[in-house]
Amino acid sequence: MEGVNLAHLGSGLAIGLGALGPGVGVGLLVGKALEGMARQPEMAGKLQVAMFIGIAIAESIALYSFVIAILLFTK
Amino acid sequence: MSAESAHEALGPMQQIFNEFNLKPHSQGGHGEKIFEVINLEPINRFIHSLNLPIDITINKAVVMLWLSAIMAFALIYYAGHGRGPVAKGLKNAMEALFQFVKLDIIDENLGHAGKNYLPFVGGLFFFILFNNLLGLIPTGFSAGSNLSVTATLAVMVLIVILYTGMKNQGPIKYWVNLAPAGLPKPLYILMYPIEFISLLAKPFSLSVRLFANLLAGHIVIFSLLALMMLFGLWLAPVSLTIATAIYAFEIFVAFMQAYIFTILTSVYLGQALHPDH
Repeated sequence: MEGVNLAHLGSGLAIGLGALGPGVGVGLLVGKALEGMARQPEMAGKLQVAMFIGIAIAESIALYSFVIAILLFTK
Repeated sequence: MSAESAHEALGPMQQIFNEFNLKPHSQGGHGEKIFEVINLEPINRFIHSLNLPIDITINKAVVMLWLSAIMAFALIYYAGHGRGPVAKGLKNAMEALFQFVKLDIIDENLGHAGKNYLPFVGGLFFFILFNNLLGLIPTGFSAGSNLSVTATLAVMVLIVILYTGMKNQGPIKYWVNLAPAGLPKPLYILMYPIEFISLLAKPFSLSVRLFANLLAGHIVIFSLLALMMLFGLWLAPVSLTIATAIYAFEIFVAFMQAYIFTILTSVYLGQALHPDH
């Protein structure tokens, strides 16, 4: 029973700590992209595409920890 | 009835994860009921009685894959065949979506060679889109919340990337061009393994991203509704409101993930076509 509880603790820690970095990263990314769009509105379309790709890549790191969390939770 | 009481004994979270268990009902899974109405158990009993060397059990994920493939094919066919220069209604919507795929996803990254990849990338976009949207129909199921489905799509993309690269740059030159030119010679000992791993990481991250996004969205909605089971029905206004908001966000995510998957595919294809950038 103790092992199961520790696995639940680990799954919570995995998603919590794993989402920390990508959260900061996505925030920085969108902030910089908005800054760029405000300065050059005519580039907004291209910046948006690049921003979404960047978000997807940053987000996938959080999603890896989400998968680990699920693996630990359903253990 | 004993199965029902065993169900009751599980916590809400275990029940949520059980929903994604695609095993046959006899093995405690939820894989055989489509839209909670059609039961596939007789068909599967027949398939199991054939004793085939590979397991081709038809669960709800398989049926959803068929449905989304048929929907993608039928809608594109319907939009492409018709009379009159002006498209109306559904046709207009499909035309707008298809134009978005062509102009913003393919032409942006692949340039003139893009029209050869339009069927593949466009088909991928609509297939994933309908796949994601089917999971948002109540009692429906999104096959993309199963890792084996998304991994199959990603491996398909990897094969197309490798084929494109080796065809356009030559079978040996493609592997030489994997690492950027102009580095100090000893560095290449380090660069090639890294680049090879990053090549394999592409389909991995594609598949895990799609899978985890869909699964996470569904689990969040389920968890918000499960709050009612945990704390009582007085919480219904709160959890239903938030669940509806998340549901609306999930519609956005369905489009977003189809977009991300296809645009990353075309970025990778563009890298394989033009090694300079």
